[in-house]
Amino acid sequence: MTHTFTGSYMWLFFAYAFVFIALLLSVWQKLGLEKDILIGTIRSTVQLLAIGYVLNFVFAADSVWFILLIILMMILVASWNAASRAKHLSGIFWRISLSLAITEIITMGLLVVLGLVSPTPQYLIPMSGMIIGSSMIVTSLFLTHMNREVEASRGEIETLLCLGATTRQAVHVVLKRAVKASMIPTFDTMKTIGLVQLPGMMTGMIVAGASPIEAVRYQILIMLSFSSSAAISAVLISMLSYQLWFTRDSMLHS
Amino acid sequence: MTIKIEALGKQIDSSTSTWLFRDVNTSIMEPTIIGILGKSGQGKSTLLRILGRLLPPDAGTVFLEKKEMSLWDARAWRMKISYVAQQAVMLPGSVEDNLQTVSTLHQRPFDKKLASDLMEQLYMEEIDWSKPAAQLSGGEKQRLALVRSLLLQPPVLLLDEVTASLDTKSKQAAERLLVDLHHQTGTTLIWVTHDLEEARVACKRIWFMANHQLAEDTECEAFFHSPQSVEAREFLQDGNVHAALSEVQR
Repeated sequence: MTHTFTGSYMWLFFAYAFVFIALLLSVWQKLGLEKDILIGTIRSTVQLLAIGYVLNFVFAADSVWFILLIILMMILVASWNAASRAKHLSGIFWRISLSLAITEIITMGLLVVLGLVSPTPQYLIPMSGMIIGSSMIVTSLFLTHMNREVEASRGEIETLLCLGATTRQAVHVVLKRAVKASMIPTFDTMKTIGLVQLPGMMTGMIVAGASPIEAVRYQILIMLSFSSSAAISAVLISMLSYQLWFTRDSMLHS
Repeated sequence: MTIKIEALGKQIDSSTSTWLFRDVNTSIMEPTIIGILGKSGQGKSTLLRILGRLLPPDAGTVFLEKKEMSLWDARAWRMKISYVAQQAVMLPGSVEDNLQTVSTLHQRPFDKKLASDLMEQLYMEEIDWSKPAAQLSGGEKQRLALVRSLLLQPPVLLLDEVTASLDTKSKQAAERLLVDLHHQTGTTLIWVTHDLEEARVACKRIWFMANHQLAEDTECEAFFHSPQSVEAREFLQDGNVHAALSEVQR
Protein backbone atom coordinates (compact mmCIF):
# COMPACT_ATOMS: atom_id res chain seq x y z
CA MET A 1 0.00 0.00 0.00
CA THR A 2 1.31 3.42 -0.90
CA HIS A 3 0.49 6.54 1.10
CA THR A 4 0.13 9.86 -0.63
CA PHE A 5 -0.06 13.30 0.88
CA THR A 6 -2.26 14.83 -1.78
CA GLY A 7 -5.50 16.42 -0.78
CA SER A 8 -5.98 17.92 2.65
CA TYR A 9 -3.30 19.19 5.00
CA MET A 10 -4.49 16.99 7.87
CA TRP A 11 -1.15 15.14 7.72
CA LEU A 12 0.63 18.33 8.63
CA PHE A 13 -1.61 18.79 11.65
CA PHE A 14 -0.70 15.29 12.89
CA ALA A 15 2.97 15.82 12.08
CA TYR A 16 3.01 18.67 14.59
CA ALA A 17 2.54 16.03 17.28
CA PHE A 18 6.31 15.53 17.03
CA VAL A 19 6.90 19.20 17.73
CA PHE A 20 4.51 18.95 20.64
CA ILE A 21 6.69 16.15 22.13
CA ALA A 22 9.77 18.34 21.76
CA LEU A 23 8.00 21.32 23.35
CA LEU A 24 6.73 19.21 26.21
CA LEU A 25 10.20 17.86 26.97
CA SER A 26 11.72 21.33 26.75
CA VAL A 27 9.18 22.73 29.24
CA TRP A 28 9.44 19.72 31.55
CA GLN A 29 13.24 19.75 31.61
CA LYS A 30 13.38 23.58 31.64
CA LEU A 31 15.64 23.59 28.57
CA GLY A 32 14.35 26.98 27.45
CA LEU A 33 14.27 25.83 23.84
CA GLU A 34 10.58 26.55 23.21
CA LYS A 35 11.22 29.68 21.17
CA ASP A 36 13.83 27.93 18.99
CA ILE A 37 11.53 24.93 18.50
CA LEU A 38 8.64 27.14 17.42
CA ILE A 39 10.72 29.31 15.10
CA GLY A 40 12.35 26.19 13.61
CA THR A 41 8.99 24.56 13.08
CA ILE A 42 7.39 27.58 11.44
CA ARG A 43 10.42 28.32 9.26
CA SER A 44 10.90 24.77 8.05
CA THR A 45 7.19 24.39 7.26
CA VAL A 46 6.89 27.69 5.41
CA GLN A 47 10.23 27.35 3.59
CA LEU A 48 9.59 23.78 2.46
CA LEU A 49 6.01 24.44 1.40
CA ALA A 50 7.14 27.51 -0.52
CA ILE A 51 9.98 25.67 -2.28
CA GLY A 52 7.58 22.82 -3.08
CA TYR A 53 5.27 25.21 -4.93
CA VAL A 54 8.18 27.03 -6.56
CA LEU A 55 9.70 23.74 -7.79
CA ASN A 56 6.32 22.63 -9.06
CA PHE A 57 6.15 25.79 -11.10
CA VAL A 58 9.78 25.57 -12.31
CA PHE A 59 9.45 21.91 -13.33
CA ALA A 60 6.34 22.76 -15.32
CA ALA A 61 7.92 25.82 -16.93
CA ASP A 62 11.12 23.87 -17.83
CA SER A 63 13.10 27.10 -18.44
CA VAL A 64 16.84 27.30 -18.03
CA TRP A 65 16.49 30.81 -16.55
CA PHE A 66 14.31 29.60 -13.72
CA ILE A 67 16.81 26.83 -12.96
CA LEU A 68 19.65 29.35 -12.87
CA LEU A 69 17.61 31.68 -10.69
CA ILE A 70 16.90 28.91 -8.17
CA ILE A 71 20.58 27.88 -8.08
CA LEU A 72 21.64 31.52 -7.65
CA MET A 73 19.21 31.88 -4.78
CA MET A 74 20.61 28.74 -3.15
CA ILE A 75 24.16 30.11 -3.45
CA LEU A 76 23.20 33.48 -1.95
CA VAL A 77 21.31 31.99 0.99
CA ALA A 78 24.14 29.48 1.64
CA SER A 79 26.71 32.31 1.48
CA TRP A 80 24.70 34.46 3.86
CA ASN A 81 24.45 31.56 6.29
CA ALA A 82 28.16 30.65 6.10
CA ALA A 83 29.19 34.34 6.33
CA SER A 84 27.46 34.58 9.70
CA ARG A 85 30.38 32.51 11.06
CA ALA A 86 32.81 35.30 10.28
CA LYS A 87 30.98 38.61 10.56
CA HIS A 88 34.21 40.37 11.50
CA LEU A 89 35.73 39.64 8.09
CA SER A 90 34.58 42.35 5.72
CA GLY A 91 34.05 41.10 2.18
CA ILE A 92 33.67 37.46 3.23
CA PHE A 93 30.14 37.20 1.71
CA TRP A 94 31.10 37.63 -1.92
CA ARG A 95 34.16 35.43 -1.46
CA ILE A 96 31.96 32.61 -0.17
CA SER A 97 29.47 33.21 -3.00
CA LEU A 98 32.26 33.00 -5.55
CA SER A 99 33.72 29.79 -4.15
CA LEU A 100 30.27 28.16 -3.91
CA ALA A 101 29.43 29.25 -7.47
CA ILE A 102 32.70 27.87 -8.87
CA THR A 103 32.24 24.63 -6.90
CA GLU A 104 28.70 24.27 -8.27
CA ILE A 105 29.78 25.00 -11.87
CA ILE A 106 32.65 22.47 -11.78
CA THR A 107 30.81 19.68 -9.92
CA MET A 108 27.41 19.99 -11.60
CA GLY A 109 29.07 20.73 -14.94
CA LEU A 110 31.04 17.49 -14.73
CA LEU A 111 27.96 15.48 -13.73
CA VAL A 112 26.09 16.79 -16.76
CA VAL A 113 28.97 16.71 -19.25
CA LEU A 114 29.84 13.11 -18.33
CA GLY A 115 26.20 12.19 -18.81
CA LEU A 116 25.80 11.06 -15.20
CA VAL A 117 22.66 13.12 -14.69
CA SER A 118 20.26 14.42 -17.29
CA PRO A 119 20.09 18.21 -17.55
CA THR A 120 16.49 18.54 -16.46
CA PRO A 121 15.20 20.61 -13.53
CA GLN A 122 14.17 17.41 -11.67
CA TYR A 123 17.85 16.45 -11.40
CA LEU A 124 19.70 19.76 -11.62
CA ILE A 125 17.88 21.54 -8.79
CA PRO A 126 17.90 18.90 -6.02
CA MET A 127 21.45 17.81 -6.77
CA SER A 128 22.67 21.42 -6.93
CA GLY A 129 20.97 22.00 -3.59
CA MET A 130 22.82 19.09 -2.07
CA ILE A 131 26.18 20.14 -3.52
CA ILE A 132 25.77 23.78 -2.47
CA GLY A 133 24.49 22.71 0.96
CA SER A 134 27.40 20.39 1.58
CA SER A 135 29.89 23.02 0.35
CA MET A 136 28.24 25.58 2.63
CA ILE A 137 28.93 23.33 5.61
CA VAL A 138 32.55 22.87 4.51
CA THR A 139 32.92 26.65 4.13
CA SER A 140 31.34 27.34 7.54
CA LEU A 141 33.64 24.78 9.13
CA PHE A 142 36.66 26.33 7.43
CA LEU A 143 35.78 29.78 8.79
CA THR A 144 35.20 28.46 12.31
CA HIS A 145 38.46 26.47 12.31
CA MET A 146 40.40 29.34 10.75
CA ASN A 147 39.17 31.80 13.40
CA ARG A 148 40.25 29.42 16.12
CA GLU A 149 43.55 28.45 14.48
CA VAL A 150 44.60 32.06 13.83
CA GLU A 151 43.89 32.96 17.45
CA ALA A 152 45.73 29.89 18.77
CA SER A 153 48.68 30.34 16.40
CA ARG A 154 49.10 34.11 16.66
CA GLY A 155 52.64 33.70 18.00
CA GLU A 156 53.60 31.35 15.19
CA ILE A 157 52.20 33.65 12.50
CA GLU A 158 53.84 36.76 13.96
CA THR A 159 57.16 34.93 14.36
CA LEU A 160 57.12 34.14 10.66
CA LEU A 161 56.14 37.73 9.77
CA CYS A 162 59.10 38.97 11.85
CA LEU A 163 61.38 36.71 9.83
CA GLY A 164 60.21 38.41 6.64
CA ALA A 165 57.50 35.97 5.57
CA THR A 166 54.69 37.04 3.28
CA THR A 167 51.21 36.77 4.77
CA ARG A 168 50.69 33.67 2.65
CA GLN A 169 53.86 32.06 4.01
CA ALA A 170 53.04 33.11 7.57
CA VAL A 171 49.58 31.60 7.48
CA HIS A 172 50.36 28.57 5.32
CA VAL A 173 50.47 25.91 8.05
CA VAL A 174 47.44 27.34 9.84
CA LEU A 175 45.51 27.51 6.57
CA LYS A 176 46.37 23.91 5.76
CA ARG A 177 45.14 22.77 9.17
CA ALA A 178 41.83 24.66 8.75
CA VAL A 179 41.27 23.33 5.21
CA LYS A 180 41.94 19.78 6.36
CA ALA A 181 39.68 20.09 9.40
CA SER A 182 36.84 21.46 7.27
CA MET A 183 37.02 18.53 4.83
CA ILE A 184 37.29 15.68 7.34
CA PRO A 185 33.53 15.43 8.18
CA THR A 186 32.68 14.96 4.49
CA PHE A 187 35.04 12.02 4.20
CA ASP A 188 34.00 10.62 7.58
CA THR A 189 30.39 10.64 6.40
CA MET A 190 31.46 8.78 3.24
CA LYS A 191 33.01 6.07 5.41
CA THR A 192 29.90 5.35 7.47
CA ILE A 193 27.11 6.11 5.05
CA GLY A 194 24.66 3.25 4.58
CA LEU A 195 25.86 1.65 7.81
CA VAL A 196 24.85 4.31 10.30
CA GLN A 197 22.25 6.25 8.39
CA LEU A 198 20.38 6.07 5.14
CA PRO A 199 20.91 9.41 3.49
CA GLY A 200 17.95 11.69 2.85
CA MET A 201 18.05 11.60 -0.92
CA MET A 202 18.09 7.82 -1.04
CA THR A 203 15.37 7.54 1.62
CA GLY A 204 13.26 10.05 -0.29
CA MET A 205 13.58 8.13 -3.56
CA ILE A 206 12.71 4.81 -1.90
CA VAL A 207 9.70 6.31 -0.12
CA ALA A 208 8.59 7.82 -3.44
CA GLY A 209 8.64 4.35 -5.02
CA ALA A 210 12.04 4.10 -6.72
CA SER A 211 13.92 0.82 -6.43
CA PRO A 212 16.63 0.81 -3.72
CA ILE A 213 19.25 0.03 -6.38
CA GLU A 214 18.24 3.08 -8.41
CA ALA A 215 18.19 5.19 -5.23
CA VAL A 216 21.65 3.93 -4.24
CA ARG A 217 23.03 4.74 -7.69
CA TYR A 218 22.15 8.40 -7.27
CA GLN A 219 23.31 8.42 -3.69
CA ILE A 220 26.73 7.09 -4.69
CA LEU A 221 26.91 9.71 -7.40
CA ILE A 222 26.08 12.52 -5.01
CA MET A 223 28.47 11.27 -2.32
CA LEU A 224 31.34 11.06 -4.77
CA SER A 225 30.59 14.50 -6.11
CA PHE A 226 30.62 15.76 -2.49
CA SER A 227 34.25 14.70 -2.20
CA SER A 228 35.27 16.99 -5.03
CA SER A 229 32.92 19.79 -4.00
CA ALA A 230 34.29 19.70 -0.44
CA ALA A 231 37.86 19.90 -1.71
CA ILE A 232 37.11 22.62 -4.26
CA SER A 233 35.10 24.81 -1.89
CA ALA A 234 37.58 24.45 1.01
CA VAL A 235 40.62 25.25 -1.12
CA LEU A 236 38.87 28.12 -2.93
CA ILE A 237 37.58 29.82 0.21
CA SER A 238 40.98 29.45 1.86
CA MET A 239 42.74 31.06 -1.10
CA LEU A 240 40.17 33.84 -1.41
CA SER A 241 39.86 34.66 2.28
CA TYR A 242 43.19 34.24 4.10
CA GLN A 243 44.16 37.89 3.53
CA LEU A 244 41.08 38.99 5.47
CA TRP A 245 42.71 37.95 8.75
CA PHE A 246 45.42 40.54 8.07
CA THR A 247 45.31 44.32 7.87
CA ARG A 248 46.46 46.12 4.73
CA ASP A 249 49.85 46.42 6.43
CA SER A 250 49.92 42.62 6.69
CA MET A 251 49.54 42.66 10.48
CA LEU A 252 47.17 40.23 12.13
CA HIS A 253 43.88 41.88 13.10
CA SER A 254 43.73 42.35 16.87
CA MET B 1 70.02 52.75 8.64
CA THR B 2 68.27 55.80 10.06
CA ILE B 3 65.05 55.67 12.04
CA LYS B 4 62.96 58.69 12.97
CA ILE B 5 60.03 58.35 15.32
CA GLU B 6 57.58 61.21 15.04
CA ALA B 7 54.77 61.98 17.54
CA LEU B 8 54.14 58.28 17.99
CA GLY B 9 51.25 57.26 20.22
CA LYS B 10 49.26 54.19 21.14
CA GLN B 11 45.94 54.10 22.94
CA ILE B 12 45.11 51.51 25.57
CA ASP B 13 41.49 51.57 24.54
CA SER B 14 40.30 53.55 21.54
CA SER B 15 36.78 53.90 22.96
CA THR B 16 37.97 55.77 26.06
CA SER B 17 40.88 57.56 24.37
CA THR B 18 43.30 56.68 27.15
CA TRP B 19 46.90 56.65 25.99
CA LEU B 20 49.46 54.00 26.77
CA PHE B 21 52.02 56.49 25.50
CA ARG B 22 51.91 59.45 23.19
CA ASP B 23 54.03 62.04 21.50
CA VAL B 24 57.17 59.91 21.35
CA ASN B 25 59.78 61.73 19.27
CA THR B 26 63.29 60.47 18.73
CA SER B 27 65.68 59.31 16.07
CA ILE B 28 68.52 56.89 15.48
CA MET B 29 71.11 58.22 13.09
CA GLU B 30 73.86 55.62 13.43
CA PRO B 31 74.24 52.01 14.60
CA THR B 32 73.76 51.85 18.35
CA ILE B 33 72.42 49.80 21.24
CA ILE B 34 69.39 51.34 22.89
CA GLY B 35 67.95 50.05 26.14
CA ILE B 36 64.27 50.76 26.72
CA LEU B 37 63.65 51.03 30.44
CA GLY B 38 60.61 51.80 32.53
CA LYS B 39 58.14 50.26 34.91
CA SER B 40 55.77 47.57 33.71
CA GLY B 41 52.77 48.87 31.77
CA GLN B 42 54.53 51.84 30.20
CA GLY B 43 54.22 50.40 26.70
CA LYS B 44 57.83 49.33 26.11
CA SER B 45 56.88 46.09 24.35
CA THR B 46 54.08 47.86 22.49
CA LEU B 47 56.57 50.43 21.20
CA LEU B 48 58.80 47.59 19.97
CA ARG B 49 55.86 45.85 18.33
CA ILE B 50 54.91 49.06 16.52
CA LEU B 51 58.51 49.45 15.32
CA GLY B 52 58.42 45.82 14.16
CA ARG B 53 55.13 46.47 12.35
CA LEU B 54 53.13 43.97 14.33
CA LEU B 55 50.84 46.67 15.71
CA PRO B 56 49.62 49.89 14.10
CA PRO B 57 50.20 53.16 15.99
CA ASP B 58 47.18 55.29 16.89
CA ALA B 59 49.09 58.52 16.32
CA GLY B 60 52.29 59.62 14.63
CA THR B 61 54.57 57.61 12.42
CA VAL B 62 58.03 56.17 11.91
CA PHE B 63 60.46 56.88 9.09
CA LEU B 64 62.98 54.30 8.01
CA GLU B 65 65.71 55.66 5.75
CA LYS B 66 63.65 58.85 5.42
CA LYS B 67 60.72 56.89 3.97
CA GLU B 68 57.50 56.92 5.93
CA MET B 69 56.20 53.65 7.42
CA SER B 70 53.09 53.32 5.25
CA LEU B 71 55.15 53.75 2.07
CA TRP B 72 57.19 50.69 2.93
CA ASP B 73 56.14 47.21 1.97
CA ALA B 74 55.56 45.60 5.39
CA ARG B 75 57.66 42.59 4.48
CA ALA B 76 60.63 44.68 3.31
CA TRP B 77 60.34 46.68 6.55
CA ARG B 78 60.36 43.57 8.73
CA MET B 79 63.44 42.25 6.94
CA LYS B 80 65.24 45.41 8.06
CA ILE B 81 63.69 45.78 11.52
CA SER B 82 63.00 42.39 13.04
CA TYR B 83 61.22 41.80 16.34
CA VAL B 84 62.24 38.99 18.69
CA ALA B 85 59.46 38.14 21.15
CA GLN B 86 59.76 37.69 24.90
CA GLN B 87 57.96 34.35 24.69
CA ALA B 88 59.93 32.30 22.18
CA VAL B 89 57.61 30.57 19.73
CA MET B 90 58.91 27.41 18.12
CA LEU B 91 57.73 26.76 14.59
CA PRO B 92 56.51 23.23 13.81
CA GLY B 93 59.32 20.78 13.11
CA SER B 94 62.84 20.13 14.33
CA VAL B 95 65.54 22.44 15.65
CA GLU B 96 67.07 22.39 12.16
CA ASP B 97 63.71 23.28 10.56
CA ASN B 98 63.59 26.31 12.85
CA LEU B 99 67.16 27.26 12.01
CA GLN B 100 66.40 26.94 8.30
CA THR B 101 63.25 29.09 8.45
CA VAL B 102 64.88 32.18 6.99
CA SER B 103 66.59 30.30 4.18
CA THR B 104 63.35 28.47 3.35
CA LEU B 105 61.24 31.64 3.39
CA HIS B 106 63.64 33.62 1.23
CA GLN B 107 65.05 30.77 -0.83
CA ARG B 108 68.56 31.56 0.34
CA PRO B 109 71.20 28.88 0.83
CA PHE B 110 71.31 27.80 4.48
CA ASP B 111 74.47 29.08 6.18
CA LYS B 112 75.06 26.02 8.33
CA LYS B 113 78.41 27.28 9.58
CA LEU B 114 76.96 30.55 10.83
CA ALA B 115 74.06 28.69 12.46
CA SER B 116 76.47 26.29 14.19
CA ASP B 117 78.70 29.18 15.35
CA LEU B 118 75.77 31.08 16.80
CA MET B 119 74.43 27.96 18.51
CA GLU B 120 77.86 27.30 19.97
CA GLN B 121 78.23 30.84 21.25
CA LEU B 122 74.96 30.37 23.14
CA TYR B 123 76.11 27.01 24.58
CA MET B 124 73.74 25.08 22.34
CA GLU B 125 76.36 22.97 20.54
CA GLU B 126 75.17 19.80 22.29
CA ILE B 127 71.60 20.15 21.03
CA ASP B 128 70.57 17.50 18.51
CA TRP B 129 69.30 19.40 15.46
CA SER B 130 66.87 16.63 14.56
CA LYS B 131 65.08 16.98 17.89
CA PRO B 132 61.54 18.43 17.72
CA ALA B 133 61.91 22.09 18.67
CA ALA B 134 58.83 21.88 20.88
CA GLN B 135 60.74 19.52 23.19
CA LEU B 136 63.43 22.07 24.08
CA SER B 137 63.46 23.71 27.51
CA GLY B 138 62.24 27.31 27.88
CA GLY B 139 65.76 28.72 27.91
CA GLU B 140 66.82 26.63 24.91
CA LYS B 141 63.76 27.78 22.97
CA GLN B 142 64.61 31.40 23.75
CA ARG B 143 68.18 30.98 22.54
CA LEU B 144 67.09 29.09 19.41
CA ALA B 145 64.58 31.86 18.64
CA LEU B 146 67.39 34.40 18.96
CA VAL B 147 69.66 32.44 16.61
CA ARG B 148 66.78 32.03 14.15
CA SER B 149 66.31 35.82 14.06
CA LEU B 150 70.06 36.49 13.84
CA LEU B 151 70.21 34.31 10.72
CA LEU B 152 67.95 36.86 9.00
CA GLN B 153 70.77 39.37 9.58
CA PRO B 154 68.55 42.43 9.82
CA PRO B 155 70.21 45.83 10.28
CA VAL B 156 67.94 46.50 13.29
CA LEU B 157 66.92 43.97 15.94
CA LEU B 158 64.08 44.63 18.38
CA LEU B 159 64.73 42.55 21.47
CA ASP B 160 61.82 42.14 23.88
CA GLU B 161 63.30 40.88 27.15
CA VAL B 162 65.00 38.10 25.24
CA THR B 163 67.30 37.19 28.09
CA ALA B 164 64.64 37.18 30.81
CA SER B 165 64.12 33.41 30.85
CA LEU B 166 67.82 32.50 30.64
CA ASP B 167 70.12 31.31 33.41
CA THR B 168 73.02 33.60 34.32
CA LYS B 169 75.56 31.81 32.10
CA SER B 170 73.32 31.75 29.01
CA LYS B 171 72.20 35.30 29.69
CA GLN B 172 75.77 36.57 29.72
CA ALA B 173 76.54 34.58 26.57
CA ALA B 174 73.51 36.10 24.79
CA GLU B 175 74.51 39.62 25.89
CA ARG B 176 78.09 39.06 24.71
CA LEU B 177 76.88 37.68 21.38
CA LEU B 178 74.55 40.61 20.76
CA VAL B 179 77.10 43.26 21.70
CA ASP B 180 79.75 41.57 19.52
CA LEU B 181 77.26 41.42 16.67
CA HIS B 182 76.69 45.16 17.00
CA HIS B 183 80.42 45.87 16.95
CA GLN B 184 81.17 43.53 14.06
CA THR B 185 78.24 44.20 11.75
CA GLY B 186 76.84 47.53 12.89
CA THR B 187 73.50 45.99 13.78
CA THR B 188 71.37 48.40 15.80
CA LEU B 189 69.79 46.79 18.84
CA ILE B 190 66.70 48.19 20.51
CA TRP B 191 66.43 46.25 23.70
CA VAL B 192 63.63 46.16 26.24
CA THR B 193 64.95 44.90 29.53
CA HIS B 194 64.13 44.97 33.21
CA ASP B 195 67.71 44.18 34.11
CA LEU B 196 69.45 47.46 34.94
CA GLU B 197 72.87 45.85 34.99
CA GLU B 198 72.30 44.42 31.52
CA ALA B 199 71.23 47.84 30.24
CA ARG B 200 74.22 49.55 31.88
CA VAL B 201 76.78 47.13 30.48
CA ALA B 202 75.36 46.54 27.02
CA CYS B 203 73.59 49.73 25.98
CA LYS B 204 74.93 53.00 24.64
CA ARG B 205 71.71 54.92 24.95
CA ILE B 206 68.61 54.72 27.12
CA TRP B 207 65.00 55.46 26.30
CA PHE B 208 63.20 55.75 29.62
CA MET B 209 59.43 55.54 29.50
CA ALA B 210 57.27 57.01 32.25
CA ASN B 211 54.03 58.98 32.55
CA HIS B 212 52.83 57.75 29.17
CA GLN B 213 55.71 59.27 27.29
CA LEU B 214 59.38 58.96 26.44
CA ALA B 215 60.55 60.71 29.60
CA GLU B 216 64.29 60.49 28.89
CA ASP B 217 66.34 59.83 25.79
CA THR B 218 69.96 60.05 26.77
CA GLU B 219 73.41 58.49 26.80
CA CYS B 220 73.54 55.36 28.93
CA GLU B 221 76.17 56.68 31.31
CA ALA B 222 74.38 59.98 31.81
CA PHE B 223 71.13 58.18 32.56
CA PHE B 224 72.64 56.01 35.26
CA HIS B 225 74.77 58.78 36.79
CA SER B 226 72.50 61.75 36.59
CA PRO B 227 68.94 60.95 35.62
CA GLN B 228 66.98 64.11 34.85
CA SER B 229 63.45 63.17 35.85
CA VAL B 230 62.10 62.33 39.30
CA GLU B 231 60.57 59.15 37.83
CA ALA B 232 63.94 57.98 36.51
CA ARG B 233 65.62 58.61 39.86
CA GLU B 234 62.92 56.64 41.65
CA PHE B 235 63.11 53.89 39.05
CA LEU B 236 66.86 53.54 39.44
CA GLN B 237 66.62 53.63 43.21
CA ASP B 238 63.98 50.87 43.22
CA GLY B 239 66.07 48.88 40.77
CA ASN B 240 69.19 49.21 42.87
CA VAL B 241 67.39 48.23 46.06
CA HIS B 242 65.93 45.24 44.22
CA ALA B 243 69.37 44.25 42.90
CA ALA B 244 70.92 44.59 46.36
CA LEU B 245 68.20 42.43 47.86
CA SER B 246 68.74 39.78 45.21
CA GLU B 247 72.45 39.88 45.95
CA VAL B 248 71.83 39.42 49.68
CA GLN B 249 69.42 36.53 48.99
CA ARG B 250 72.04 34.84 46.85
